[in-house]
Amino acid sequence: MAALTAAPARPRKLLASRKTRVGILYALPVVVYLLVLFVYPIISTLFLSLKNADGSLTLHWYVDALTGVNLSVLITTLRISAETALLSLVFGFILANAISRLRPLWAGLAMLIVVVPHFISALVRTYGWIILLGDKGLVNETLAWAPGAPYQLLYNELGVVIGTTSMMLPYTVLLLYGVMRGVDRGLLAAAASMGAGRVTIFRRVYLPLVAPGLASAGLLSFILSLGYYITPALMGGPNQTMIATLINQQVTKENQWNGAAAQGVLLLLLTLAGLLLVKLVSSLGASAKKRSAS
Amino acid sequence: MKDARIDRRLFLRGIGGVAAGVAAATALGACGTGTSRVSSSGGGGKTVVVRDSGGSYGAALQKAIYTPFTQETGISVKVLNLDNAPLLAQIKQGRPQCDLINDSMMSHVKYAGQDALEKLDRDRITSLKSAKIPDNQITDHAIGHSFYGQCIAYRTDAFGGRKPESWADFWDTKAFQGGRAMCSPDGDLPELEFALLADGVPMDKLYPLDVDRAFKVLTRLRSEIKKFWDSGPLPGVLLSRQEVTMSTVWDGRIADLQKQGVPVARQLNGIRRQFSGYAIAKGAANVDAAYQLMDFSLRAESQANLAKAFPSNPSSPLAYEKLTEDERNALAGAPQYYDKGFDTDVDWWLQNEAAVTQRWLEWARG
Repeated sequence: MAALTAAPARPRKLLASRKTRVGILYALPVVVYLLVLFVYPIISTLFLSLKNADGSLTLHWYVDALTGVNLSVLITTLRISAETALLSLVFGFILANAISRLRPLWAGLAMLIVVVPHFISALVRTYGWIILLGDKGLVNETLAWAPGAPYQLLYNELGVVIGTTSMMLPYTVLLLYGVMRGVDRGLLAAAASMGAGRVTIFRRVYLPLVAPGLASAGLLSFILSLGYYITPALMGGPNQTMIATLINQQVTKENQWNGAAAQGVLLLLLTLAGLLLVKLVSSLGASAKKRSAS
Repeated sequence: MKDARIDRRLFLRGIGGVAAGVAAATALGACGTGTSRVSSSGGGGKTVVVRDSGGSYGAALQKAIYTPFTQETGISVKVLNLDNAPLLAQIKQGRPQCDLINDSMMSHVKYAGQDALEKLDRDRITSLKSAKIPDNQITDHAIGHSFYGQCIAYRTDAFGGRKPESWADFWDTKAFQGGRAMCSPDGDLPELEFALLADGVPMDKLYPLDVDRAFKVLTRLRSEIKKFWDSGPLPGVLLSRQEVTMSTVWDGRIADLQKQGVPVARQLNGIRRQFSGYAIAKGAANVDAAYQLMDFSLRAESQANLAKAFPSNPSSPLAYEKLTEDERNALAGAPQYYDKGFDTDVDWWLQNEAAVTQRWLEWARG
């Protein structure tokens, strides 16, 4: 075991310089591409967000973005994204777990059903949701006997989260499915053979094995939700306005690029903060594991 | 040791998944913003590129205007669907993708304010006179070709045979029970005028709008407004699914529902009119062809043909004479309806749109 891992380490050192040169060559097109089309636009957006009407530097676009109704929209965005991430993680986990136990043909079919809504136009999808969740919709008609019916399932936060969660499910399911397929079922069997109960196996063996997938799936749906606005606009009310809507309004309606840039930069910072958080949590988890192992 | 390796591998796979997911999302997002411009100009023939808003309106334009224009002149027409902001950016860079811009007159005033439009030579647009385009639709930089209206749509089966006659009825949720839908700033200008009309302000004294009063009146209806719509078909969807009993609507958008037998009707009293027009982008590559297409589109005959294919209301009074009585009655621009509504004051909205939109959001989030 030790010899196996040590063997490739020595020649790697010898090859290092040539490998690096080749690596740089391979990486060059992508690096240039990213510099021109990614880094440069982001930096110019940053400058745009700091520029006054007369060209001097200012922070007042950020003050604008972080006060009054704009701040409450920002908080709403974070809240809805967190709710979406959590729910799509839970449902994605259940779904992926079920699908990973299916035979490949059925698994493929189930995946298709999860992914298909993505290819339907937003309006048709919304129409479908209204048929399902509206006052005269399927759910409310079936629950007509229940106290308090009809329930308000649309045009509020519940509606938005239902919508965004369904949009995020393909990502979390695909991600978790891949991770779950990679789990060695033998490990679970081994744990069982040593007398571990189902809950213990799930908690001590299965969950740690899929945990990295959970972290990245949750992060992905959180980040994607941050920039969402079609679903919240269609299925929510004004209280579910997301920051992307404001950015869109400023650019397309008011030709106000500076304010939009400031909000874009804030959105980017939030995304980076999310990434950092996950990194932090996972490295804390890793060090805790190391400590318990030693 | 082994554990850590598996973890890292899984983690990398997970991150790879994130990257793939983000890439997929970007690709999915990109699908929605395609433009239909094809840059091959086969045969070296003359070409003109026109910007319109696409959808069923774009299809009607193709059928009623662009194709006949190509048949008559041999100039091929290419269509570009682009938002104001990127178009403006293109013009400022000196290389607009389009020559002729079909957009709201309010947008044209914005464009003109940014020095993005050619000053029009009226002598080159002969149909201005022949189609009797009204003077108030002719500006230095743009010519109004049609208007769209925003009015009341309601379910005819919801109020026991009574029908709403005015915006005051729209606000009267005791006599006309049921949810309401109104437009969000994502869809169109906030509907302050309707609130003021409901509160008894006469139609000819609307502008300058009393914003405080309008929001006060809107607040009375706030709890009944179930949805703020942001796209044209949504009011029809909400009405046909009985989510609401009354909604504001872009006139013409419920005609199809009526044909399908859905019990909905419109009320044109207090309709808000907004004009759309043609303008030529500054630095356009095909100015001559743009003038020709503009001239062709403004003819009374062309406007009438368009009105047959799409519920747009021609600016030329002569166009209405070229329609059958049924076709004419379907249009809010028909002479017998004209006094029922009012023209949007573009200048007032240009000055106040940003502030009102901000305030609307504060109000709506309550």
